[in-house]
Amino acid sequence: MAAPAIQAEGLTKSYGSSRGVVDLAFEVERGEVFGYLGPNGAGKTTTIRLLLDLIRPTRGRASVLGLDARRDSVEVRRHVGYVPGELALYPRLTGREHLSFYASLRGGVDPRAVDDLVERLDLDLDRPVADLSKGNRQKIALAQALMHRPELLVLDEPTSGLDPLVQQEFYRLVRERTAAGGTVLLSSHVLSEVEHVADRVAIVREGRLVVVEDVAGLKARAVRRLVVHFAAPVAAEPLASLPGVRSVEADGTGLRFEVEGSLDTLVKAIAAHEVVDIVSHEPDLEEIFLSYYREGERGAA
Amino acid sequence: MLRSVSAKTVRDHARAFLWWMLGLVATVWLTVAIYPTVRDRPELNRLVQDYPEAIRAFLGEGSIDFVSAAGYLSAELFSLVVPLVFLVYAIGLGAGALAREEEDGTLDLLLAHPVSRRRLVVEKAAGSGALVVALGVVLWAALWASAAAVGMDIGPGRLAAATAAGVLLALAFGALALLVGCATGKRALATGASAAAAVAAYLVYGLAPLVDALEPAQKLSPYYLYAGGDPIRSGLDPAHALILLGLALGAGVLAVVLFDRRDLRV
Repeated sequence: MAAPAIQAEGLTKSYGSSRGVVDLAFEVERGEVFGYLGPNGAGKTTTIRLLLDLIRPTRGRASVLGLDARRDSVEVRRHVGYVPGELALYPRLTGREHLSFYASLRGGVDPRAVDDLVERLDLDLDRPVADLSKGNRQKIALAQALMHRPELLVLDEPTSGLDPLVQQEFYRLVRERTAAGGTVLLSSHVLSEVEHVADRVAIVREGRLVVVEDVAGLKARAVRRLVVHFAAPVAAEPLASLPGVRSVEADGTGLRFEVEGSLDTLVKAIAAHEVVDIVSHEPDLEEIFLSYYREGERGAA
Repeated sequence: MLRSVSAKTVRDHARAFLWWMLGLVATVWLTVAIYPTVRDRPELNRLVQDYPEAIRAFLGEGSIDFVSAAGYLSAELFSLVVPLVFLVYAIGLGAGALAREEEDGTLDLLLAHPVSRRRLVVEKAAGSGALVVALGVVLWAALWASAAAVGMDIGPGRLAAATAAGVLLALAFGALALLVGCATGKRALATGASAAAAVAAYLVYGLAPLVDALEPAQKLSPYYLYAGGDPIRSGLDPAHALILLGLALGAGVLAVVLFDRRDLRV
């Protein structure tokens, strides 16, 4: 059995003030898409830079593909593809020149893999990247990360700036990589970006790992804000006592709900009335964190 | 052209190199073109001899002989213009070699590839050093061609010795800039510190004959290693050349070690 794709043990990076990560311990299995979720500044990029040996841990260690992230970093990076969160390319070089340079650093890559990516991502290879939109630059970064068919893909907020069609193609590429036995670490600050593709999700907050859970479990915790507009005013009280409903607030002929977990019972209950419109908001990550904290407190009490 | 980091380093600077080359060739050509009028007026030597003692001492031995080919080139080009041009060029390259990529943010993706940090610094230094040497070859060729054109009494060997001394001086301070850039990731600091060190070396060398306290320090100045042996008349002093080369390599090794040990800045 192959070593885990990523293994962190007490991984700690201290900076003077609050930034950094503290005692991270998690494992990413081979072949899974692992979402790494947290608000901006939570330590996601710090973790990734530790795995790539761009910075060194204050304490603890990490291994990547069975290799020590620090000692064997060159070998690690041979098998890893990386899309940085703060993408910076060489403004005067074209996309083609970037791909050819990065390929030569890897001792060459299969040209068919490059051609395939160029076609599927619809890359503009002939203009200097300074003249490209953010999305088109991001696509070049994706191509360089994928062109050597890496065993581990490390993606730091990879879909920012991509239009929805390209995002769909990107998710397909990620899935193909795992189907071929590869592993993907996908960091993001929005749940919706990872929930389509991730098998498991880790949540970090202020440098600490809050929870590692599969996506279904996480969604069950998600707190959704829902505004339902009715044709006529509806009494809030009977709905407030439904399972999962955390609060109800009247707003003219509408009701604002906060619902934890499944919406099923609530939707069935409001179906008794004439519904004009339903507006649902993205589950808030912060709410999910809080639900885990509340549980922690209840456990302690 | 993009097959390695060193090749890319050269390519990144190819366009700027052409401008440096043009400027240098024009300067050399104009300076040498004036020489025939100076050669025909030996009284200019007496003019320099009438300078106050202090100024003559600062200008150095070469300034006393202004009319010979070696004396003219020494005073007009090699005492200030050549070291200045080569130092500015080399310090700019050295300071930017890694610190620029670090400040621009391109270093993260570069070092996410299977390239060790040590190899990265070595390749960047090799590419930058090659550019400085290439500019030296340009200087030498321009001197030789223009000296031949006006019938200047100086051979390519002497011109090569003087040019090589300038290149070695530039490599030493370029390596210092590389070192500061690698250690701190700050390009402005690397440029400023190295430029300040170069100015100090020049002042110590020039002022030592005038200031008793500086006298013992003169031979410690890298500028002394460049000019003290009078390479345009006496050829390149092997000891001086080796020390300058040693300083460059020493700073380079230290740059590799320090860069290998630290966290990259975001």
